[in-house]
Amino acid sequence: MTALLEVQSLSKQFLGSEGKALTDVNFSVSEGEFVSIIGPSGAGKSTLLRCINRMIDASSGEITFDDRNVTKLKKKELKMVRTKIGMIFQHYNLVDRLSVIENTLHGNLGKKSAIAGVLGLYSQEEKEQALRILSVLGLESLIYKRADQLSGGQKQRVGIARALIQNPRMLLCDEPIASLDPNSAKVIMDHLRDISTSMGITVLVNLHQVDVALKYSDKIIGINSGQVVFNGSPAAITKEDIQRIYGSEAEDLIFDLGGIHAS
Amino acid sequence: MEANGQVTTAGQLVKQRPRRQIRVKTWNRSTVVTRATLLILAGLTVYAFFSFDYKEIDFVQAMLATFANLKSMFLEPHLQRFTFGHALYQVLVTLGLAFLTTLFGAVIAVFFGLLAAENLSSKWVSSVVKGVVAFIRAVPTVLWVLIFAVAAGLGSVAAVIGMTFHSVSYLVKAYSESFEELDKGVIEALKASGAGWWQIIFQAVLPSSLTYMISWTFLRFEINFAVAVAMGAAAGAGGIGFDMFMASNFYLDIREIGAITYFILAVAILLEITAAKLKKRLT
Ligand SMILES: Nc1ncnc2c1ncn2[C@@H]1O[C@H](COP(=O)(O)OP(=O)(O)OP(=O)(O)O)[C@@H](O)[C@H]1O
Ligand SMILES: [Mg+2]
Repeated sequence: MTALLEVQSLSKQFLGSEGKALTDVNFSVSEGEFVSIIGPSGAGKSTLLRCINRMIDASSGEITFDDRNVTKLKKKELKMVRTKIGMIFQHYNLVDRLSVIENTLHGNLGKKSAIAGVLGLYSQEEKEQALRILSVLGLESLIYKRADQLSGGQKQRVGIARALIQNPRMLLCDEPIASLDPNSAKVIMDHLRDISTSMGITVLVNLHQVDVALKYSDKIIGINSGQVVFNGSPAAITKEDIQRIYGSEAEDLIFDLGGIHAS
Repeated sequence: MEANGQVTTAGQLVKQRPRRQIRVKTWNRSTVVTRATLLILAGLTVYAFFSFDYKEIDFVQAMLATFANLKSMFLEPHLQRFTFGHALYQVLVTLGLAFLTTLFGAVIAVFFGLLAAENLSSKWVSSVVKGVVAFIRAVPTVLWVLIFAVAAGLGSVAAVIGMTFHSVSYLVKAYSESFEELDKGVIEALKASGAGWWQIIFQAVLPSSLTYMISWTFLRFEINFAVAVAMGAAAGAGGIGFDMFMASNFYLDIREIGAITYFILAVAILLEITAAKLKKRLT
């Protein structure tokens, strides 16, 4: 397996704030891998994810995606790279007044000419692909429904469909299940896992639920105050690692490593 | 029995309370300022009525004469110098003026509204556009028409330019505020998939704010109709306003003014109803 994504000594300092949001972050992700990033609130998980597709510009360091140095790309090349990276959000970020299928097709805007995108002209193949993806996600009966009439779980599946229609090499998911009930959360995580396993798409997920991260991931990256403090397989994680990621209070948290590893 | 007992105890409870006035408002800076302002305004009003130069007008008689005028204006309206068809045509001319200026204003305002929305342009550009627009808006429409009349001459051209000018400034504010209301996550999502600025505008920003934009535009249309009537009279822009001006200042025909007023009222009500219907269907 070759590395699809490589992050080298990445640092980020926001303008006007003292202290760094990210300090010397290094890790690499292989093609098709499912990686969870865990850490306390404010640790820098969202910042890290957004540095990868340059929604936020890193202060220093290098990010290599598919053998290209993302940090040095010009505007046009950056757009091309972004079409290869899907993104999924905690609050879904759909256009409320548009239908499920329109929102799904939005994933293709980056590949279209400005005019076709502005007018919303999509080819027959694009529409067929949208339908295929939506039916895999169990949304085929809802394609003409407006996005604001969907439940949270359905909205997130539309979010996934919008990312998948890009034909991405990698998905970045920023707390995709933080606003969902346990059942919908499981559906979403199962879909993400399936996308990684059967389509070979690399998945990077920010998570707050350690048990979920351990259950679904090939690899866990633990972050505390902008630094990577754990990088390894879920099986290798110990109580001390959890403490290092979340601080000493972690003892009181509910998770039981033994139980999780056993199941 | 039991109920009676309870009533008496409740009554006693109320009686036992020491009687003391409870103030609802506390005195602070803002209440003092508000009350002082109201008092001064009241004083000025009274003083004004005493100091008017009444030129020996008998107040009661003047009132009666006014009522007589209003009576013949609104209860005995007639059309003498022109026909119903002509009046209808003139109303359409006025509506046309309002429609044209609103349409021009809306098209230009969409563009500047995008530049004025902080989330879609840069902070610097946004402040500049908003500042200019606030200045234009602060000057009344009529004044703009008169200013443009210097170059274009008093007439319909000055009215169209002046009214468009003010409509743009009004709609830029309304549009940019509805653009700014859009969740920034939606913009982020499309940007992250590689979409460009124009694509984001047309696929996310405009669809999300369309209802607001339409209802603001229609409101401006109603304003422009009223302004267009006034412009017909004051700036010679034609339409029903000009007929009204002629009827009142030239022919001194009070009854015809009444008829024209009814025409304008009917159109205004029609517009109002259309606006309400439109709003209901859009949401
Ligand atoms: N736009 C910004 N400007 C300044 N500081 C920021 C900005 N965005 C994030 N930060 C800071 O960077 C740090 C990391 O924030 P980040 O959002 O990446 O944390 P997170 O791990 O995603 O937290 P959470 O789990 O709550 O989402 C925080 O201290 C935050 O205050
Ligand atoms: Mg976050």
